[in-house]
Amino acid sequence: MSLALEHLVKRYGDVRAVDDVSIEIAHGEFFTLLGPSGCGKTSTLRLIAGFETLDSGAITLDGTDIAGKPPHKRPVNTVFQSYALFPHMTVAENVAFGLRYKRVGKAEVARRVGEAMELVQLGSLAARRPGQLSGGQQQRVALARALVLEPPVLLLDEPLGALDARLRIDLQVELKRIQETLEMTFVYVTHDQDEALTMSDRVAVMKGGRVEQCDEPRVLYEAPGTAFVANFLGSSNLIPAAVTGDGLQVGEFTLRADVNGRTGDALAMIRPERVRLEPHGSAGENRVPGMVEAVVYLGFHQDVRVRLASGALVRCDVPNDGSAVEHASGDPVCVHLPADCLRVLDP
Amino acid sequence: MKRSRLLPAVTWIYVVWSLLPVLIAIRFAFNEGRSRTTGQGFSLRWFWTDPTLSVRNDPTLASALEHSLVLAGLSMVIAVPLGTALALGLQRWRGRGSGVSNVLMLLPLVTPELVFAVGLFLLFTSAFGFIGLGTTAQVIGHVTFSLSWVVLIVRGRLVMIGRDVEEAAADLGAPPWHVLRRVLLPLLGPALAASLLTVFALSIDDFVVAQYMASGADTTTVPMRIYASARAAPTPALNALVTIMLVLSLAALALAWVLGRGRPVEPRA
Repeated sequence: MSLALEHLVKRYGDVRAVDDVSIEIAHGEFFTLLGPSGCGKTSTLRLIAGFETLDSGAITLDGTDIAGKPPHKRPVNTVFQSYALFPHMTVAENVAFGLRYKRVGKAEVARRVGEAMELVQLGSLAARRPGQLSGGQQQRVALARALVLEPPVLLLDEPLGALDARLRIDLQVELKRIQETLEMTFVYVTHDQDEALTMSDRVAVMKGGRVEQCDEPRVLYEAPGTAFVANFLGSSNLIPAAVTGDGLQVGEFTLRADVNGRTGDALAMIRPERVRLEPHGSAGENRVPGMVEAVVYLGFHQDVRVRLASGALVRCDVPNDGSAVEHASGDPVCVHLPADCLRVLDP
Repeated sequence: MKRSRLLPAVTWIYVVWSLLPVLIAIRFAFNEGRSRTTGQGFSLRWFWTDPTLSVRNDPTLASALEHSLVLAGLSMVIAVPLGTALALGLQRWRGRGSGVSNVLMLLPLVTPELVFAVGLFLLFTSAFGFIGLGTTAQVIGHVTFSLSWVVLIVRGRLVMIGRDVEEAAADLGAPPWHVLRRVLLPLLGPALAASLLTVFALSIDDFVVAQYMASGADTTTVPMRIYASARAAPTPALNALVTIMLVLSLAALALAWVLGRGRPVEPRA
């Protein structure tokens, strides 16, 4: 089933928590709402679940508007950040909770609960209570409890937020596997860019209640539309520049770049791993001299910070592949900013 | 160590001072003889065995005990469901008036009991004259002042439980009534038990409201009985009655405390 959000608006007092959000999510898509806290991603999810009421806009599931229905009548289910398990019920009772409202027989309930528990690899813990489980196990119960209802759309509100890093990576892979196995539509909320990049088919980056950019992870990373997206997904160099007739002006140097029809002041964006560090005086286009200001050794790569003559600081990832030349602060160098890696953004 | 011994000393003097009269009263409840001032052996005469004067066989004492228990029972049955509903409502009520109502809800906790009782007395003898004085008025009085406690206890628990489980239940398809029955009420269990026992202890202890709302001999409670006869010709049966009251209140409070702690709502691993 496809889910369409049309011009959603939600106000809390004077604050527009969700400000004209329109998104179409296809059947079977893993869709992520990504953004810093307070960007409106969770509010958007809560609007879909029905915990908050819309001020204006429409939420349609395969063409039917569900915005007017209370949460218990919406065919979507939620996995909460806090898990929100029922502490007075066993794991199996938690998982079976929603099946009562699906009008299925006793045998069918038992079968589906068993299947859901197998799917999240919790078969042996059916008789435990939530309080006796680890965080990761509780997370799986929360997932099974929602999955067992086979909702056309599953909403996940930072489901891995409370887990430690190792477990989080394992569960990321597992979530993706489950989503692909069941061909279910997932709407996933997170502030973690790695989670968004690893699992999602598409990501909407949100800021101040609005969608900044919505696209596949690769496009968001390679071709961010705004400085905010460039900074939020991965790290990036944003060099103040100006678009002139010849190209992109950075200080006294002119760089070749696709200016995309922009004029006037702009930001030249380039990922640190795309910046090439060359010996001082290297010839060729898009080369700018500078001086090494700091070198941070990070094991698998070095983070070399170069101050350009224009005053801008450029971070450069030098991979630790054995061939790298050692740099020290104070060394004069030349940074190569390849034209196809430069993006010109609005300041 | 140069720390002052004054503070612990004062504390202990106070503890002994406040408990001694009670212990003495209990001691004479078990007296063999009629005296309430000199020890005359030990017996259960004044509780049980004396054919006319023991708590069991003196009709005025027995009926006072019965009436106290009836009042406490009715107050529990009415105040706890009502208070729970109020707590649930106040917890959800956002917007104009909710702040004021929260403060007003706590007002009965600090209102002087006598002022409250006089107010109720005037109410039931004039504006609400159709209710009049008697058991009904006593129950209404007890429910009114214990309601705040129930709201306080239940709301504390509701805050601990959080909104998440309610939302989760609704999200899984449970209509509001089922959210209450399958999730909220079971989780509120310890708070409800604590409320029941607190209301019991408050009601059985109360003298002022019960006295003002009383209409005659059949609405006399234990504290009223004690007050009335303490200055007349008391026997150790009165001490026996006091002892029973004390044990009942203490048991209720201890149980309320144990249950009120409950188990943690959602232990995080």
